[in-house]
Amino acid sequence: MFAALSCVVLTQDAADRLTIRFSTGALSDAELSSREALATPGVTARAGVASPTRAPWIVANGWRVVRQPGAKYRYDLPAGKAALAAAEAFAYGADALLKIDPADETSLRAMLAFLEGLPRVDLPAIADLAVVEDGTAVAGEVMNLLARRNLLYEIVKAPSARYRLTVAVGSREFPVEEAADPSAFALKIRRLLTDEQRTLRIYGTEVVIARLVGDAARVRVHLINYSGREIEGLRVRLRGAYGTGEAFAAGAGRVALQDHVVAGGATEFSLPRIGIYAVIDLNGTR
Amino acid sequence: MDRRAFVRLLAAAPLLRAQIRSGRPAVNVVSKYAPAAAPGMPGPYPGRVVSVASAKAVDVSTGAANDEIVRDMMARGMRALTGAATTAEAWRRFFEPADRVGIKVNCGGYPHCISAYEIVAEVIRQLMDVGVPPSQIFIYERFQNQLDEVNYAPRVPDGVSIVAAERANRNVDNSGYDPATYLEADFFGEDDTRSNMMRLVSERLMKIVNIPNMKDHGATGVTGCLKNVAYGSFSNVARTHQRGVSHTYSVVGTLASIEPLRSRTVLQIMDGLRGVWHGGPFARTTRYVFYPRQIMFGTDPVAIDRLLLDIIDNERKAHGAISIWDRSAASLRMDDSRARDADPNVNIIIREPGHVEYASTLGLGVYDRARIAVQDIRVD
Repeated sequence: MFAALSCVVLTQDAADRLTIRFSTGALSDAELSSREALATPGVTARAGVASPTRAPWIVANGWRVVRQPGAKYRYDLPAGKAALAAAEAFAYGADALLKIDPADETSLRAMLAFLEGLPRVDLPAIADLAVVEDGTAVAGEVMNLLARRNLLYEIVKAPSARYRLTVAVGSREFPVEEAADPSAFALKIRRLLTDEQRTLRIYGTEVVIARLVGDAARVRVHLINYSGREIEGLRVRLRGAYGTGEAFAAGAGRVALQDHVVAGGATEFSLPRIGIYAVIDLNGTR
Repeated sequence: MDRRAFVRLLAAAPLLRAQIRSGRPAVNVVSKYAPAAAPGMPGPYPGRVVSVASAKAVDVSTGAANDEIVRDMMARGMRALTGAATTAEAWRRFFEPADRVGIKVNCGGYPHCISAYEIVAEVIRQLMDVGVPPSQIFIYERFQNQLDEVNYAPRVPDGVSIVAAERANRNVDNSGYDPATYLEADFFGEDDTRSNMMRLVSERLMKIVNIPNMKDHGATGVTGCLKNVAYGSFSNVARTHQRGVSHTYSVVGTLASIEPLRSRTVLQIMDGLRGVWHGGPFARTTRYVFYPRQIMFGTDPVAIDRLLLDIIDNERKAHGAISIWDRSAASLRMDDSRARDADPNVNIIIREPGHVEYASTLGLGVYDRARIAVQDIRVD
């Protein structure tokens, strides 16, 4: 079936039910052009560009999907990126077309099988702060950097009382001039929020982006590893008390969480290994 | 002031201000381990160092160590430190057969300045004479690729374990670190704010022998006992020094003081057969290698490192290089390791040799030179 595969379209309904449409022939220009192009996900070396933290430069698209959840997207992917793009699209619930290199058919098939086998959930995104949508590229870049720093935000149309911190680019507290350096801007937001108040922290890597969804009873943590390398012993900290749950890692299936601890108003656990993607489902203990 | 120096000064000025402003970073230490009744550092001999030197210890024309001389130096050093009548008795003051013993080596200076095979082998020989079986002896370092390069295996008995926490310095292997024992701090806005202790140290070892080298270090001034055992036992530590600024002033000592590392590190053997006076901690060429041909013994890492500061600084002065204490903006070529390697008057980070004194404030040892008793022994 995959011998001549060239495109895969992923769509999901509200309950994360995944619909996969395969195409072995060229898609119409109309279908391609109707979709917004996403960047090839991964980690890039940016020669001559120094990061203030030396953190690797992650190319990720989740922030774009969160910003425009109703849009249709397309990836035009070089070899080696199909599985990562599929995981990213799935984690953010994107309607995405993946135009792939034939060499990726096996890895993509494995990823799609993994995604299809995941328990279905329908949970809202969890956020620690709000970002006011003004439609500008500057605000978009701020969202991008916040996502890359695993700072969980909700996009709002106006300042929201639901959050202790609302970021409105161009406001007195967040002048647009400061946003010209999105990395420093994101760091300022992080320090205003404080690490102690963050619902989710990740330790042991700076190349994994998380998406957190949940309600009072349970949470799901999506972990997307953009590095192209397996990471061992990645540690997650969640505010709140959660019992042992289930973890699923692409390439490994169901895996046991390690060093699970609930203390001090937070839950911590380690994943023995993560390749491209993992999902952790946890139930609240209260 | 020439134009180049002026430009460097301009470029560095904001950083210097930032450093002055930043002070010591706030850190949070998490450990469930209680200190021992008598922690290994500073141990039973605070402020006491035995220095054994021999002109025959190393053939400086080849860099090869003389195994017989080294063994004699080791024996005399340990007897002098402990006052024991025999070498075996000296080692029994620290170790017993039931111990699981780690040997913290330093492989970062491969190929020209590493914890010497001869010293490591002699430590193992003495531990086995005490009755510690090879299966309870662990040579350790953070990175497997460095251990592979150095390759202690052919020089030590079968059964001795050689253990690393990570395959290489890539920040992808965390399973070798203890998730419950760590220092947490945000130094520069990095996302990964924890440095975790090696599981080997926290979960398996009962005692540690620390074998650093006499080396210059671009961020700390020198890398001796404190730096070797601290930065060599925790993950994610390179984040403490970047873009000209080094938080090593307080972090080296703080890491060394975290339990159980502090209590279990019971013996310091400073390998000064060879040394590095610039470009450290690396020694990719012999250009900056020198041959102190001495070994220092003690339990107080601060006292030994206090002596090391002078040894490295004096060697630098002998070569006309700037002091390890130099903090001038004119010397700073931020992150330009190529310039640093080419010119011993270039710093890539403002060094923090004061980390040794800071460690003394944490109770890790004696810094005041006037209060350090040094016993010099010469082996001919």
